[in-house]
Amino acid sequence: MNNNNTHRSRLGMIIITIILMGALVYLVGTSLQKEQQTADIANLTRYDTPSQPITNDPFLNYGQQINQLTSAPISGTARTLDAYYSRRAYAGAPPIIPHPITDAYSFGGNTCLQCHQNGDYTPEFQAYAPIVPHPELINCRQCHVPVTTDELFTLIDWQPLPHPEINQSALPGSPPPIPHGRQMRDNCIACHASPATADEIRLTHPERSSCLQCHVYIETNQEWIR
Amino acid sequence: MNQNKFTRRDFLKMMAASAAFATATKIFPGILFAQNEQNQMLTQTLNDANLTAQDVAWHKAPCRFCGVGCGLLIGIAEGRAVAVKGDPASPVNKGLCCVKGYHSVMALYGQDRLTTAYVRRDGQLVPTSIDEALDIVADKMKETIQAHGKDSVSIYGSGQWTIPDGYVANKLFKGAIGTNNVEANARLCMASAVTGFITSFGADEPMGCYDDIDYADVFVLWGNNMAEMHPVLFSRMLDQRLQRKHVKILDIATRSTRTSLAANRSYIFNPQTDLAIANAICYEIIHNGWTHRTFVAKHCTFKQGLTNPGYGLEDNYVFNDEVSDISFDQFKAYLKDYTPEKVAELSGISARDIRYIASLYGDPNLKVTSFWCMGVNQHTRGTWMNNLIYNIHLLVGKISTPGNSPFSLTGQPSACGTVREVGTLTHKLPYGTVDNEAARQKAAEIWQVPVENIPPKPTYHTVEMFRALDRGDIRFMWIQVTNPMVSMPKLKRYRDGSQKEGRFIVVSEVYPTPTTDIADVILPSAMWIEREGLFGNSERRTQHWDQLINPPGEAMSDTLQLIEVARRMGYGDLFAWDETTHIEDIWNEYIRFHEGAKHGMAPYAELRQNPGLRWPYVNGQETRWRYNAEHDPAAANDEDNIFNFYGKPNGKAWIFFRPYEPAPEEPNEEYPFWLCTGRVVEHWHTGSMTRRIPVLHQAVPQAYAELHPDDAKKLDIRHGDLIRLVTPRGSIEIPASVGQRGRPAAQQVFVPFFDESLLINELTLDAFCPISKEPDYKKCAVRVEKV
Repeated sequence: MNNNNTHRSRLGMIIITIILMGALVYLVGTSLQKEQQTADIANLTRYDTPSQPITNDPFLNYGQQINQLTSAPISGTARTLDAYYSRRAYAGAPPIIPHPITDAYSFGGNTCLQCHQNGDYTPEFQAYAPIVPHPELINCRQCHVPVTTDELFTLIDWQPLPHPEINQSALPGSPPPIPHGRQMRDNCIACHASPATADEIRLTHPERSSCLQCHVYIETNQEWIR
Repeated sequence: MNQNKFTRRDFLKMMAASAAFATATKIFPGILFAQNEQNQMLTQTLNDANLTAQDVAWHKAPCRFCGVGCGLLIGIAEGRAVAVKGDPASPVNKGLCCVKGYHSVMALYGQDRLTTAYVRRDGQLVPTSIDEALDIVADKMKETIQAHGKDSVSIYGSGQWTIPDGYVANKLFKGAIGTNNVEANARLCMASAVTGFITSFGADEPMGCYDDIDYADVFVLWGNNMAEMHPVLFSRMLDQRLQRKHVKILDIATRSTRTSLAANRSYIFNPQTDLAIANAICYEIIHNGWTHRTFVAKHCTFKQGLTNPGYGLEDNYVFNDEVSDISFDQFKAYLKDYTPEKVAELSGISARDIRYIASLYGDPNLKVTSFWCMGVNQHTRGTWMNNLIYNIHLLVGKISTPGNSPFSLTGQPSACGTVREVGTLTHKLPYGTVDNEAARQKAAEIWQVPVENIPPKPTYHTVEMFRALDRGDIRFMWIQVTNPMVSMPKLKRYRDGSQKEGRFIVVSEVYPTPTTDIADVILPSAMWIEREGLFGNSERRTQHWDQLINPPGEAMSDTLQLIEVARRMGYGDLFAWDETTHIEDIWNEYIRFHEGAKHGMAPYAELRQNPGLRWPYVNGQETRWRYNAEHDPAAANDEDNIFNFYGKPNGKAWIFFRPYEPAPEEPNEEYPFWLCTGRVVEHWHTGSMTRRIPVLHQAVPQAYAELHPDDAKKLDIRHGDLIRLVTPRGSIEIPASVGQRGRPAAQQVFVPFFDESLLINELTLDAFCPISKEPDYKKCAVRVEKV
């Protein structure tokens, strides 16, 4: 009995030692590897042309958004396409911020994205927040600015590029082509299948995630001539 | 903080009470406006013409605004600019812009655009045909030269001049007329960067390029609110941090900004003590053995200059630095005054933080890029501060290799291209300086003028030029593409001076501004894409654009205005270019100045095809890292050295000992606050373009004075209250801004300078860096009073 106990405690000691040694080997190994990695990156990148496209995967954040895919907002104010268009100086312009900013001393990732990354319901506005199609760009107010006055400095003769016509299907019932550019908004789901989506452009079939299978960008309005 | 919380809760309550979003639109007029009026205004339009996106032709042009030089695609339909996209083919911005860039084309269409010339008759500006106005300008110039000599006429241009504008101005004044009275507003924004480069390396402009952002592990920002002032580069940096998790951004500044909030670490120092902090970093590097000994031994020498040079506050101030050799040991001994402990006390940054920053610079496994702009340059010791940042990078050998880069950012689209490269400063020629005989000879040969035409002595730098106008030494000034009656420091003296009897001011502009208000002749200018042009950005990239639309009315490009006046003055032979090809002809003549491996420029045809090309452009190749033989053919040398700082005679860069010296005016009992001026992301400089863009004006309609919340509380000032700012130069009443986008340190006030009706430069001091002659807009003493 006594013997057994001694054996057991010895065994315990050995196991603990093995675990500790293993942990040591792991820690030393990873820390060494870490250094190695920096060096590798340095060598690898030295002469390469860095590729850093600021464009998105069409299904970026799809996982988060899919939870909210819905055909209509459950509650709150619905937006119209005109309301969205009125926030842009021309078709494709970054929209203004139509609501007051509560914490101006802040940076996008900590404020704007709280609502606009996942399109959550915002009780103070009684509406769902539109989802940003490019959440990786976190300096939001680089492009989006609020409206703090309705006055103008001077009048302006601005004639913008008009917003595109929607539902330009070639045949009755055929999938409509994409009438807008892809830059900064090639995440279809963000704008077309969230609770904040305007009815006119809401997807009827958000579960079919391969949008470009059926919907193509209109690149030109010229006819093909052989 | 408490007050903030209260406001938010209050706001939430108010919002909850409103039954629907529609109610909110009544509370916040902005929303109402956005949905109705703006809607109507923005979409009145080409709708009738059945225009679609596919009818729009997209043309490349560099952005009209800051020195980043983003590539834009401008949508043109029916002879009008109707939309903007970021150019995905541009390696600068890779398709992303900022709010100014996206709305830039709207600045072309303000209803008060100048479409005809004006001439002052009996005190009134009267519309006049441009031909007659150009005659008057030429006659007045000839008359003034006859009565008061060549040095009584001057031109004051801009870092927003296109390269051909600046080239023709330089040739007309220095080559044809024979006066060095050529200056540009870039003197107010990056002259210290130039003298920093010249003193440390003997050649101007950065050794690195924006590609450094894709390689660096650590970014150190010196007094630079990049998130607002260079947002596209800042976003590239953030993107790198997202992709490579170990990347760090350090913000060293005097005010907490969006940049500070986004940075991994933010350090707030007492104004002017950046000099001591940089020296403390050098001290730490040397004392911890982080010096790259072989690099320093092979490629650097140690120097010191004169100290206590003054601040240029008096007229006719002269300072010539005398540089002498020192040893490494001497340099080390000088740094004894800058231990982290001593500097911590002075600067307000803890010794531990200083050690941490130094350790990142010193870590041989980290690539470090430093960025700076106005905080370092608009500094009464601006040249020194530039030298000090180079010292840090040189000591650890982190320079001229991918990711290791001391990188001086510029504020204007062609501060580099037009002012620094074409040499539109009093002492400069497109190649070399006016006091160098070989440089004068080269200029005379290319310009086909007698070499005696070009005076060997520089005349006035910008501040002194306006002082000379005040004194009467200068009688005629032609101002192009800039708005000095908003942007000059100690404004009242220079505004009064320019309006004295016997002064004649010509202003080439696109909109009425406080500067056109004092003009005797206003010439309407063709703007940006209304003419063909070239800009050169911060990373030595030259970008060309075609004329995309017609200028309104009689508006004419600044290049053509200058050529027309030159012809009227009898110098037609020197400017005998054809109007359809003049930009190409000028470019071809100009690049003869820069032939060779050190500064070769890309040919016109290639510039038209590419989204910009970086010089030195040698054998069809851009140079990304200068002074590095692996990238820069000019750096190749006999020895097996990779680096060759060929701007200096022996190929060695200079490490300068530059001490800390106090600012000329520091807070005191009567004026207990620091006053710092600057910019916001929405507005470009003096706002003459961006305020006419509805989106930008409506975001920031007027200037304000930012206060630290504690100071505001002490003075019983709430956000939006009117306060009075007073300095010995003047005072203004301006709304206070508390808890908004920026937070100055305690006992400091920050005011943006874009607002022509709240002129903060009435208050600023015209002290400048004795070497660069660039004024310090960031520091003077001010009193804050509640109105």
